[in-house]
Amino acid sequence: MKVIYCRIDRCLGCKACELACAVEHSESKKLEQAVREEPPPAARVRVHGVDKKGAQARWRCMALRCRHCEEPACVAACIAGGIVKDEQTGIVRFNKDKCVGCWSCTMVCPFGAVVRSPDGGFAIKCDLCEDRETPACVEACPTHALLFCESEEFEALLSEEEIRHSGQ
Amino acid sequence: MKKKFVIVGNSAAGIGALESIRTHDRQSSVTVISDEDYPTYSRCLLSYFLAGKIAERGLRFRPDDFYKKMGAEIILGQRVESVEPEKQRIVCQDNTKIDYDQLLIATGGTPKVPANISTETDGIFVLRTVADAMGIQNRIKPRGNAVVLGGGLVGMKVAFALNHRGMHVTVVVRSPHVLSQMIDSQAALIVMSRLREYGIDVLTGSDVTEVQDLNGEVTGVHIDQGSEPSDPQEAPCDVLVVAKGVAPNMGLAEETPVERNLAIVTNASMQTTCENIYAAGDVAETFDIATEQSAVNALWTCAMQQGKIAGLNMAGENRQYDGSVGMNSINFPGVDLISFGVIRPQDEEEYEVLADSRPEMGVYKKLVLKDDRIKGLILVNRIDHAGILLSLLGRKANVADLKGELLSDRFNYARVLASGGHEEMLRYWSAGCAVRRK
Repeated sequence: MKVIYCRIDRCLGCKACELACAVEHSESKKLEQAVREEPPPAARVRVHGVDKKGAQARWRCMALRCRHCEEPACVAACIAGGIVKDEQTGIVRFNKDKCVGCWSCTMVCPFGAVVRSPDGGFAIKCDLCEDRETPACVEACPTHALLFCESEEFEALLSEEEIRHSGQ
Repeated sequence: MKKKFVIVGNSAAGIGALESIRTHDRQSSVTVISDEDYPTYSRCLLSYFLAGKIAERGLRFRPDDFYKKMGAEIILGQRVESVEPEKQRIVCQDNTKIDYDQLLIATGGTPKVPANISTETDGIFVLRTVADAMGIQNRIKPRGNAVVLGGGLVGMKVAFALNHRGMHVTVVVRSPHVLSQMIDSQAALIVMSRLREYGIDVLTGSDVTEVQDLNGEVTGVHIDQGSEPSDPQEAPCDVLVVAKGVAPNMGLAEETPVERNLAIVTNASMQTTCENIYAAGDVAETFDIATEQSAVNALWTCAMQQGKIAGLNMAGENRQYDGSVGMNSINFPGVDLISFGVIRPQDEEEYEVLADSRPEMGVYKKLVLKDDRIKGLILVNRIDHAGILLSLLGRKANVADLKGELLSDRFNYARVLASGGHEEMLRYWSAGCAVRRK
């Protein structure tokens, strides 16, 4: 399945992905109106800084979100049957109407990618922007650090870059 | 080869098994048997139903056509009386005999009720089934008096539900504070202050010593508050809910070679000591990863995982269960709480405790470590990264160079990756992220 990958070496930590994600999940889907919405729209992707010096200094920051796991812990943990893995698309789909806010999903997500909504009423996570061709965060990323592709494509791209890098 | 799978029990463990069997085997027959008259539903949601937050329909955590889609036969309202391992069959209440190739015992547990209390009395309940919830629901009257015996997860959820419905609620707990199995006294301060704000009375170090009834209907209770001289207090009571934990339903293992200890003994394949018989959920004893001892972690999440592992092994896949962890999450107004593993270490020298307490914000975090490995956690009102820490516990990851950050509000998965030394997690993540491998 196509998922969102992040090239850490290109991530500036500009948070354009967070902004685009929040707007995409707002009522109006327009930034100028979204900023005034109550409750404020929330991003499903988070840019995290990595305060690490030395050899790993290149890993400055990275955008993290739901990985749409093969065997999602959240799906098994949900007491309301509100998270389901779509067998066809592979998308781990979250149904807000079923969520009672028990935080079982938050308790078991190994990536910390299912979190409380700003008002604390229900959980939120990345939905891969199912109704868009390209997820909003990927489209907004100015350095193309975020990619929406199959794992093979991504692996190929990585080794290509590694070869180029070692050739320099 | 077509096989006959029989699953006794229709809750988390049974459903988890059914679903995982079907991921590998669409041919064999699967029969699910339940002594309840209700298609599978979520017991954990019963308190939300009581609170009026979800409708009865909302209890169903699987679609209406679930059994059909799974190609499973469902038998409701039928109690399974015994297992005959040598004949590979089970015997039901109406004497029907059902053959199996592989059997899963997922019979769950029964709420413990003290000897001096009888749920035969009108107005006295446990909360385990839809029928229990309906019973309590019918007794709810605004400004009526409810007594909840037990301050565990179920007790707390019931107390808040009945409070939400306008009843005056008194929680009677024997321990020095509520949720004594899942939090320490510090975290309890936050929880107890919220309970007070909501007008829920909590009597700690107390017990219900006597129930008063009129024509078989509860009217009041005597509460011993442990004060000297002991002078039981009388309290009016329209509904008494007993929430003192559950005991495993091990009846099916009687007169069979299936070994029982705290519950039915299972190995890492969720297999019992009897060939072709598996056990999962509240009826199963498993290895606890955090305490490194056998335990019965009677929890929804554990039951689902165990059912899933049992189902895979029944279907011929070889899958091992890493073990269970006692883990709980709870939410009520003003408190989001997650805890797991060893939360109050007995041996202070063996364990290291990191804590962050911000009572003015209602925030409390506590991490228990042993040999630089996470053993337990309490998070109150800053819960978003609980799962990362649970995963580090499960993987027995050495967190020595992360110690300063683990309880930070800004802790996140990127920090785990950057810290290095977590090769397994790195590989896991690299499937989805540009982590350069050497």
